[in-house]
Amino acid sequence: MINVFLKWKIVRVILTSLYLVVGWILFTGNLAPFSIFLGFTFSFSVALFTYNIFIEEREVARRALLPRAYLLLIYLGVLIFKIYLASFKMVLTIITGDINPRVVHFRTGLRSEVARVILANSITLTPGTLTLSLDQDHLIVHWLNAKTTHSHYAGKLIKGSFEFWLKKIWI
Amino acid sequence: MRILIYVFLGLGMFFGLLGNLGVLRFPDIYTRLQASSKCGITSLLSILIASMLIKGITPMSGRILVITLFFLITSPVASHIIGKRAWEEGLIPWRRKKPGKKEN
Repeated sequence: MINVFLKWKIVRVILTSLYLVVGWILFTGNLAPFSIFLGFTFSFSVALFTYNIFIEEREVARRALLPRAYLLLIYLGVLIFKIYLASFKMVLTIITGDINPRVVHFRTGLRSEVARVILANSITLTPGTLTLSLDQDHLIVHWLNAKTTHSHYAGKLIKGSFEFWLKKIWI
Repeated sequence: MRILIYVFLGLGMFFGLLGNLGVLRFPDIYTRLQASSKCGITSLLSILIASMLIKGITPMSGRILVITLFFLITSPVASHIIGKRAWEEGLIPWRRKKPGKKEN
């Protein structure tokens, strides 16, 4: 019976060094055995120092470490498409100058902190909304073309389908 | 392929120009931040996609992909930090006056 904390510490170190090795291979761009060996040793020694910053202790039990990668790729594609749509709308509002800005507050149902940060970033990227503050699960959003100030309804309109997909990716 | 590259580069220039126009036109800090962040992100994203198309499938375009991902993470965070600072200082957002209402 090993100590639980020790077990999770080992998992965190291994995961951190795996992420670093992927970065090493992408940036060196060659697959010679000596290069990969060097990458592994340096990633492991860096991970020993930095695992505590990279993966926090209370995040470890949830599925925050290994998201479902194929869904994340689909999410990224949809996000880039939505960014382009949002920019075309933004150009129209800049030309016509027709704005009605308001500040709205609402809550999110996501648990993992990484998922919350990604939700806030996606809100900043989509049409006419800008995240002003993210405190636990409470979001304050500046909305350029406000249709309503009711908290629940505004949350539904702004979050759209993002929250649904992020819940599937990180649970 | 060549036409696609030109289209993406053109989109980048177009959004950059209109984003700057929006910064000049809008009334207060929050709305200006919106214009600059959105159009800036799109223009740089299109230019990075165009450079990935020029390089084709090589290690170089993999590096550009990594740069794009980091950019997608950091750029909204930067505009969020500026907005948060303004909000905590207590700057009041600009609001449109109702058409029927008298001034004061």
